[in-house]
Amino acid sequence: MQAVELGRVLFEMSIRNLASHKLKSAIVGSLMFFGTALVVVGTSLVDTIEASMAKSVTSSLAGHLQVYSSKAKDKLAIFGSMMMGKEDHGRMDDFALIKDVIAKVPNVRAVVPMGIDIATVTTGNETDNLGTGLRAAHQKGDKASVDVIVGQIRAMAEDLKKELSQRLKISAKPEEVQANIAIVDRALSDELWAGLATDPESVFQFVETKLAPMQSDGLLYYFRYVGTDVDRFKDNFETFKMAKGEIVPPGKRGFLFADKFYEDQIKHKVARDLDKLHREVTEYHRPIAGDPVLVSLSKQIPKQQRRILVQLDRNERALLSQKITALLPDTAGKPLDQQLAAVLTVDDSNIVERHEFFYDVIAPMVELYQVKIGDMMTVRAFSQSGYLTAVNVKVYGTFSFEGLERSVLAGSTSIMDMMTFRDLYGLMSAEKRAEVAALKAKVGTKDLERNDVEDALFGGDDSGEAVAEVAATDRFDEFAGVDLKGERARMEALVGQAFDQAAIEHGVALNAAIMLADPTKLEETRAEIQKALTDAKLDMQVVDWLTASGMIGQFIYVLRGVLAIAIFVIFLVTIVIINNSMVMATMDRVPEIGTMRAIGAQRSTVMIMVLTETTVLGLLSGGLGALAGAGIVSALHAVGIPAGSADIMVFLFAGPRLHPTFAASNLLVALLIIMVVSIVSTLYPALMASRIQPVVAMQAKE
Amino acid sequence: MADIVRLDAVEKEYPLGKLSVKALQGIDLTIGKGEFTTIAGPSGSGKTTLLNLIGCVDVPTRGEVHIADRSTKTLDDNQLTQLRLSTIGFIFQSFNLIPVLTLFRNVEFPLLLQGGLTQGERERRVREMVDKVGLTPQLGQRPYELSGGQRQRTAIARALVTKPQIVLADEPTANLDSKTGGQIIELMREINHREKTTFIFSTHDQRVMDRADRIVHIADGRLERTEKKSA
Repeated sequence: MQAVELGRVLFEMSIRNLASHKLKSAIVGSLMFFGTALVVVGTSLVDTIEASMAKSVTSSLAGHLQVYSSKAKDKLAIFGSMMMGKEDHGRMDDFALIKDVIAKVPNVRAVVPMGIDIATVTTGNETDNLGTGLRAAHQKGDKASVDVIVGQIRAMAEDLKKELSQRLKISAKPEEVQANIAIVDRALSDELWAGLATDPESVFQFVETKLAPMQSDGLLYYFRYVGTDVDRFKDNFETFKMAKGEIVPPGKRGFLFADKFYEDQIKHKVARDLDKLHREVTEYHRPIAGDPVLVSLSKQIPKQQRRILVQLDRNERALLSQKITALLPDTAGKPLDQQLAAVLTVDDSNIVERHEFFYDVIAPMVELYQVKIGDMMTVRAFSQSGYLTAVNVKVYGTFSFEGLERSVLAGSTSIMDMMTFRDLYGLMSAEKRAEVAALKAKVGTKDLERNDVEDALFGGDDSGEAVAEVAATDRFDEFAGVDLKGERARMEALVGQAFDQAAIEHGVALNAAIMLADPTKLEETRAEIQKALTDAKLDMQVVDWLTASGMIGQFIYVLRGVLAIAIFVIFLVTIVIINNSMVMATMDRVPEIGTMRAIGAQRSTVMIMVLTETTVLGLLSGGLGALAGAGIVSALHAVGIPAGSADIMVFLFAGPRLHPTFAASNLLVALLIIMVVSIVSTLYPALMASRIQPVVAMQAKE
Repeated sequence: MADIVRLDAVEKEYPLGKLSVKALQGIDLTIGKGEFTTIAGPSGSGKTTLLNLIGCVDVPTRGEVHIADRSTKTLDDNQLTQLRLSTIGFIFQSFNLIPVLTLFRNVEFPLLLQGGLTQGERERRVREMVDKVGLTPQLGQRPYELSGGQRQRTAIARALVTKPQIVLADEPTANLDSKTGGQIIELMREINHREKTTFIFSTHDQRVMDRADRIVHIADGRLERTEKKSA
């Protein structure tokens, strides 16, 4: 009771002392105020980001836990590690075996088999497309279209020649460039085109195998994909949604592009560039003028007009010219390429209008995507044993994750069915191995046809390439764009073949995502699963989503580190300042403290008095700072912090805006820190004060 | 009359660089309960040192100081503090009130340190003491609002509120004008008579010496002579 009373008086003294040293109290108080506000805002932000990142990671690819072989040479990095190239995550030979063990652990909701790898897809370039068109038009006997296409090919050859002539001046291998010029010259000669009447096949061959390879724009795409049980993936990643097309039918082989990748990479370059500028201006309100990157991009677009022109036939050209003239009367009578360049010249004032014009008028006339939904696509990858494999797979559609539509990280991994993945990854079924053996035997004994001679001579990588799906054909898929009706039909049939669930279950997977019923019991469930696997003598490791996410997961630690350093620095400064000012204040109060000691105050009482003073100030300004911090977080919650166009931010924010929230724990941590800071900063002055001798009271003179 | 203070061959040295200064050199002194004693001597004679030793804010280098039959020699800081709190009241030359506290709180402070009283008892004791020194109207004022004389009265109230056996006053009138100083001396004398509290002063002030029962003269750290007066 008495101690409480004494405490009350010490408290009163501390308040009065603080009030009587206004400047000192104001400076120390503001530091503590800002420090606490920073702690509240900072920890709230980081906590919210961690929660949203957890959502991004767990709901897109990783799940709550990941299981993979303990023999893996590389750590699992679901969103890619910093090292490019192939990673070794080991493998599980029979997924069902592992799944059965894991599924028995309580709290496990689902186990989704996976295999993540990098593959490439090649698409025909514009000359390829023209070659295909030429072949088709010639077969139909459409003389007018043939003439238009020949004109386009010649125009392209002229461009190529200009480019090659430039290159000749600087090339280290002029003879190679000369050889290419000779090819282009042939494309420009009337003699070649006269051949259409006599030996059309050799003309097509020339275009497709000689001319087309010289043009190399955007032919090869590298992409990450996850081989998985598509149905189970769809059902267990709640934010999964189809963007275009349809989902791969159950039990069928098929491919789904990540929509973001499809839009950013596979889409027509002009459309992509216009999309980007349109998004910057309308969504991020970032003017083109003044941003060098955007200005440069806007200047490139009109130069791309040929990419559109080459895809248009005569009627479409006439229609387009008419539409452009309606929009831009000044261009009336000018050649279409100039008109097109004019309509593609965009700035801040007309980007919305031109973007709309492109999609209303031009887009329906051109191939908007290099790989269309419904197309067969040849995907290649290095198999595990190092040789190149290729599979044909049908593209059913594109998908994205709710809220992460714009994130490159979440939107760069496409989905492939498990069976196709196993083929591509070089984990062939017995059936497939037999097929390849048959192919090898066939190639070895067969007389080479004209096409095969070319392949043998020029297809440098053929020897190491096992063409799994295209096995039955004599053609190598380098010319897969040149579809023969029969081949296409055969492939459609293969794609249509169904497989049952048991085939997915009892086969190879590299890793698997585990979904939990109650994600808050992450660590205990992880340990349980690990134990269950170890007990079952399965050499597997189970990691949580943060670990499995790879580099991106480390970001949260970086963020926490930066925050901790900022808080540490601000409070270190605060501690030094409080320490100094309290030392000064104590020296000012030597007679007063000496008197208290003489009257009978114990050392501990004096210490408590000095500590009380800073602690009161700390709690007062820290309390206000915590309230202010909570206010700031609430305001940010209401407004939302825009992720902007930076991909990583979209991913971390699990959407375009972060709405931070604070928990009581954020406030408590802040107050706890401020208490510790108050006490630590005042320990020395308090000790000093407690050592003041009572005898000084007797010496005090006013 | 029983002795309340007894000094046996007390010596005190202060280190001064490599040398040491002898402030007191063999003092034997006893002071009886209820005595009104003055320690007199020129500056540097050692009278403040003597007062410090009696007040238990310092300990002797050699010899022994007994306060209320307890030797200070073996006591640690906490025990000395406790002894001061329970036995001695201090009155300082510069009043030494706690500037941020009101008159009431200043007087109450030693009672809070002592503990053991209810709030009501404390308040009664403080009011009674303040009334004795005639400052009831100033109860809520802070030291800077009080005159020098009022401050010293407050200090007297603070020194006496715990009913100490000894009150030490170190030149209590030095910072006061002669009229006020005189009033302060009269007040202390009055309390001494009424409460039988032992008062020990150090002073140069002739008027203080005039009112003392006994004057102890100190010079060069030695007891020069003791002058006994009949009050």
